[in-house]
Formats: sequence, C-alpha cells, structure tokens
Amino acid sequence: MRRKAFLLLVILLFIPITAFADYDYNSKEFQEVVSQLYMQGHANDELSTCKVKQMYYDEVTQMLNDGMKADEIIQFYVDEYGQAALKEPATDKSGLIAWGMPVVGVLAGIAVVGFWLRKIKVKNKVEAKEQDLSWDSELDKEITAKIFEEERRKHF
Amino acid sequence: MYIIGNTALYLGIAIAVYALIANLIGIKNKNNRLLESARGGVLSLVFVSSIATFLLLYNLGTSQFQYEYVAAYTSKNLPLVYKLTAFWAGNAGSLLLWLFLLCIYAGFLVFSKEKRNPMMPYVSSILLLNILFFYLVLVFSSNPFKMTDIIPADGKGLNPMLQHPGMILHPVTLYLGYVGLAVPFAFAIAALILKRMDAEWIKLTRRWTLVAWLFLTLGNIIGGWWAYLELGWGGYWAWDPVENASFLPWLTVSAFLHSVMIQERKGMLKTWNISLVIISYALSLFGTFLVRSGVLTSVHAFGDGNLGTYFLIFLAIMLSLSFYVVITRYQLIKKETNPIESYFSKESSFLLNNLILVAGAFAVFWGSMYPLISEALTGTKVNVGPPYFNKVMAPIMLALIVLMAICPLIAWQKATVEKFLKSVIWPLAAGVISAIILVVMGVKGIFAIIGLAATVFMFATHVKEYIDGTRARRKATKENVLKAAYKLLTKNQRRYGGYIVHMGIAIIAIGVISSHAYVQDVMKTVNLGETIKIGHYEITFQGLSEHQKNGNGIVVAKLDTTYKGKSIGTIKPEKIFYETWPEPSTEVAIKTNWKEDLYIVLSSWEDKEKATFQVKVNPFVSWIWTGGLIMVFGTAIALIGGKTTSSRALRLKQRSAKAGV
Repeated sequence: MRRKAFLLLVILLFIPITAFADYDYNSKEFQEVVSQLYMQGHANDELSTCKVKQMYYDEVTQMLNDGMKADEIIQFYVDEYGQAALKEPATDKSGLIAWGMPVVGVLAGIAVVGFWLRKIKVKNKVEAKEQDLSWDSELDKEITAKIFEEERRKHF
Repeated sequence: MYIIGNTALYLGIAIAVYALIANLIGIKNKNNRLLESARGGVLSLVFVSSIATFLLLYNLGTSQFQYEYVAAYTSKNLPLVYKLTAFWAGNAGSLLLWLFLLCIYAGFLVFSKEKRNPMMPYVSSILLLNILFFYLVLVFSSNPFKMTDIIPADGKGLNPMLQHPGMILHPVTLYLGYVGLAVPFAFAIAALILKRMDAEWIKLTRRWTLVAWLFLTLGNIIGGWWAYLELGWGGYWAWDPVENASFLPWLTVSAFLHSVMIQERKGMLKTWNISLVIISYALSLFGTFLVRSGVLTSVHAFGDGNLGTYFLIFLAIMLSLSFYVVITRYQLIKKETNPIESYFSKESSFLLNNLILVAGAFAVFWGSMYPLISEALTGTKVNVGPPYFNKVMAPIMLALIVLMAICPLIAWQKATVEKFLKSVIWPLAAGVISAIILVVMGVKGIFAIIGLAATVFMFATHVKEYIDGTRARRKATKENVLKAAYKLLTKNQRRYGGYIVHMGIAIIAIGVISSHAYVQDVMKTVNLGETIKIGHYEITFQGLSEHQKNGNGIVVAKLDTTYKGKSIGTIKPEKIFYETWPEPSTEVAIKTNWKEDLYIVLSSWEDKEKATFQVKVNPFVSWIWTGGLIMVFGTAIALIGGKTTSSRALRLKQRSAKAGV
C-alpha cells in the first residue's frame, strides 16, 4: 500500500503543473500563443467588437485547457492555414529570405559606402598630385575649371 | 452644383494641359510671354481646385445626399465637423484634397521670389504633370461629384473610428508631407535637366523639404495618437503596410536632410542626394498606391477599382523619367569632389547615418512587400507583422540612437580620438549610470535597458553640446547664462533646431522602448463593487448606464480608481452604438500621469452589474506625444532661422570682398 502511494506521488510529481491550470486570457501561455497568431488580419482589432479575434481567443483558451502546449497550438494553426497563420515568417530555412534580406541590405550598403569612400580618397589623392604639378596660378585653375564646366554642360 | 463641380474638374484638366504645353514651348522658344501665361495657368488651377474643394465641403456640410460621396460617408445626425472631415474619408475626397494641396504648393512656388529662376518653368512643368494626373484620376476614376441614381433619405454615415479629432488632423498633415515631397523632386529633376549640378537646388528646396518632413512627422505622430485613443487595442503603431508607407519617406527624407549638409559643405554625394529625393517622392506615390490598391491588408486602406493600377503606371512613368534624366547627366554629376580627409570625421558619420536610415527604410519596405513577394514566388502568403518589424528594426534604431549620441561630438573634416574621448566621457557616463540605476531598481529586460541607456547617452550628448556652446559664448561675450543660451540658439538655428529634434526623438524612444517592454495587461470580468488590481492601481466597478447622444446609444461603465491608495477619480470607458454603423465603437478611458497611462476598455457585459474590462498600464506613452511636439518645435526653429551653409559662405565672401580683403 505504501509502495502504491509512493508510486502515485511520483507520477503526480511528473505531471506538469500546466495540466491542472485553468487558462484564461491573462495567462502567460495564452498571451504567448495569441501574440504570434495573425488571426486573418484581425490580431490588432479590439476584442469586444471583432468576431474573428473572439473565435481565436476562445479556441486557444480551449486548447490550452485541453492540455495542449503553446508550441503545439502554434503548430496546429500552421498545419491548418500554413505560414499565413502566424504574424512573422518562420525562422527555419523557409523564412531565410525574409529574415536575411535586411541583413544583406545593410551589408551591401556598408560595402558600397566603404568602396566609395576608398575610391574618392584614392582619386582625390591622385588629382591633388596632378593639380599641384599642372597649375601655375589659382586664376589659371579657376578659368580652366569654368571652361571644363561649360564643355561638360554642352556635351553631357 | 453638379455642373459647377464637374466643370471645375474638366477645366482643371484643360488648364493643366495648356499650362504644361505653354511651359514646354516657352522653354524651347525662350518665350517669356508663354512662360508668364503658364504661370497664370497655375494660378487658375489654384482657383478651380479651390472651387471643387469648397463645393465638396459645401455638399458634405449641407448633406447633399444626391451625391454618391456625400451619401457614402456622412449622415444627417453627424456633427458638422465630421461632416466636413468626411472630405478625406474616401478615395475621391482624399484625392481632391491631395490635388488641392498640390495646386497650392505649385501656386506658392511659381509666384515666390524665385519665380524668375531659370529652373522654375521646369519645376512648374513637373508639378503640372502631377496635377494633371490627379485631375485625370478624379474625373475618370473617382469623381466626388458623381450623382446617385436614387436620392437616399439619409447617408450611410462616417466610420465611427474616423470620428475623432486625430482624424481631423492626421490625413491633412500626412498629405501636406506627401505632396510637399513633389517640390524637392521637381527642383532636383529641373536642376538635372538644366545641368546645374551645384547646390542651388538644395538651397532653394531646403525649407520645402523641411516643411514636408515636418508634416510627415506630425502626420505619423498624430496617426499614432489616434490609433492609441480610438482603435482600442492599446498600441499606437502596428507596422501596418499603410503605416509603413508613411514611415518610409520619413526615413529617406531624414537621410536626405543630413546628407545635403555634406553636399553644401563638401560638394559630395550629389548623385546620392538626387537619388534620395527621387526615392522619397516615389515612396510617397507608392504609399498612395498601397492605400488605394488594396493589394495589402490594412485597417487604413480603401482599395477601389483600378485606382491602384493608375498610381502604379504614373509611378512607373515618373521613375522612368527620373532614371533617364539621371543616367543622361551622370557624367556631369560625377564631377570631382572635395576629399574626405579622415574616416573619423562628421562627414563619415553622416554617411553612416544615411546608411542606417536607408537600411531601415529598406527593411520596412522589404517587410511590407514580403507577403506579396512570398505569394508570387511560392504561392503561399507569409505574413510579416509587428514581431518581425520589432526584431529587425530594433537593432537598426539602436544603431541610429548610438550614432546620434556620437555624431554631434565628432568634428568636421578630421576629428581626433583624444578630443572625441574627452567630449564623450560625460554623456557616456550618464548612459552607463542610467543603466546601473535601472538594474538596481529591479528593472528587467536587458535589451530594453540597453536601449534606454543609449537614449540617455544620446540625450546627454545634446545637453552637453548646448551647455558647452553656451559656456563658450559666455566666455567670448560675457553675456549672462540665459542671454548666452538664447543667442546661441538664435545665431545657429539650423544646428540647434536639429539638436532639439534629436532630443525629441530621444524622448519618443524612451516612450516606445518602455511601452513595449514594460506594459501590464489584464482582462477581467467583475461584478458590481468588485475591484481589478493592476500595478499601483485599484479599479472598482460601479455599474453600467445607458444614454443617447446625436441619435447614438452609449453604454458607459463607471469605475472608481485609486493610485497607490489615493483616489484619482472616476473614469468612464464607453461603447457607442451608431445608428448608421453595424459595429459599436470603443471609447477608451485613460488616466495619464507623467510616467504611465492607465488604459481601460469596456470589453463586454452580461447586465448592468457584470462587465468585462481590458485594463493596461502603458508606461511612458505620453512621452511619445511630448517628444513629437518637441520635434515639431525643433523643426520650426531650424525652418524659421536656418540659413544654408553655402549661403552663409557666400555672405562671408561678399563681406570680405566689400572690406577689400
């Protein structure tokens, strides 16, 4: 008898506490699930006036109270509606483009700016050298610059 | 009325076509009379668009339900102010508003003191092209003067969500911003056509761009305020595609406002600045396309017929034109520039700032469009909602805040590490100390703490800059503190106006980070006399009551509220049942103090003695609105007194010449 009671106690200890929990809209698990659901575009609607959101809220509460875990509920909706059930792209291979593109954009931007900075630094060094050698006076330099400017406007 | 309204629209098309042709022939033949006539055409457009605008206002104000637009968006019992603001509740009215504002901008431009500028006929032609497009769309797709087949006894009424003071201001300010972007765009293209690649077009458009940016800022802030008070979900920004569409040009114009300083000082980034102006203008059209096309799901969209397609076609035409002009002038733009003397300089930090702002714009654009891209590529629509944007934009915004903290302390041309470290030490210490205080106070969330500390660092940098400037001025002039501080501001309004804008952004950042990381939320059903506890608040339900107002049924909940045990009065969340609308609307009850908002929504009820409430404590939300006002104030300062660097340089040159130096 004592052995049986001990066994029962061990079993009870291993049953997750969530199995006894009575979930409502304030539960942490409930919030975790609904914060990820797109709810067919109604996730940000006001609850009392949105039938679709109310339906999702009731379903999620029911599923949690039936013993489903948060990730199981999310998976249930993904199986039902595909990735469109969620507010964000998946973090696995299928969502790589969605998540990766902003990073690629930033890296490409850094590369372009870095390349451009290097280019104008090198270019300006060369030009400064050439100009030092070519011009006898500032006036000559200004006149030639003006002529070039006029020519540029004409030809381009 | 019908005839006058439609005549005003058709006449608008005729005048726009005439003025455009007169401009083009006038430019080709250097015929001043024709150019003068085209200017008169623009003035006539202001006049006819005003007639159409005031006529629609009259129709709305006097409930002329024989017009489809009036019947669709107003009703007899609607308060007059909302009858009038129904002007921008639908496609036709909002397009007419856009057109009216565009004509006003064009009118101001062609009769400004720059009217004899050789660029002006080109600028006017580009604006006329825009005006013509809007007239065509109004006449052939969304005519606000279209009649109903049968005159209804009453109209359908205005969406209750739009019956809010925020909606009086939000669309107008946003449109003023969008439309304003057409002006720098027109100048940039005109400068390219004329092969004038100096900073003149930038000098001429600085104020216009700032005005557009100011209105975009205001539009976004007021939109957030409206969403917070009216939508009832407790937030202010949902990363909705249409919200993103108004944020995108804000980001690119912010980048432009910084990069023009480099062109003015160093003659660099010419292609980049032109690209930013073109992109900003294109994004304003793109935003309109998103709102009108219905291609993406949004609470703000009003998708209707082929309107989206027309906008897409016009966008494609304008982008092709811009691309052609840029490509054909590229060799001219690619002139030699002054060298960057050091990677560690203000110029480089501005480049980095541009990179981050444009990266932010790209991330928002990509996220907004990804549902369409994923559907087109895989056949499966993948949603991109707030969690995605929060994760992607948080590091970008953090980088921007850190850069704003560092950038003002870096010198132009060539900064030295020693000097920089000396100036950064106190602001940085303020940031670190704030982080320590938050941790000691038991505040959780490492990312939020980092964000808040970075914001304090940024704010402290700007305060230090102002204190240092005042101190230096006092040393030189022996003025008292107040006078020195005032003179410092007024003598360099552009710089210190910009700093005030940055400080406004810091205050908004504190509001955004705190309200995201530390919101408390509870939903509870209570009986009469029962209490809901949240944070330091206790809210006791004192029953429901009903009454009528303007023909609408209103259910009001009475809640006695205490804060830290002290009564702070009774608050009354409401549900309003409109005669003309199927869904009730929510009137949120809010109690605000300097550090948090108590936000209560009456969710549902069983009887007068049992109701369900959603209660939130949103920390520092009021800081967002305050920060927005500070930004507007700072922009106004920069706008009123700001002189361009090049014009200051020119004045100095002239003074030196006069003095015989």
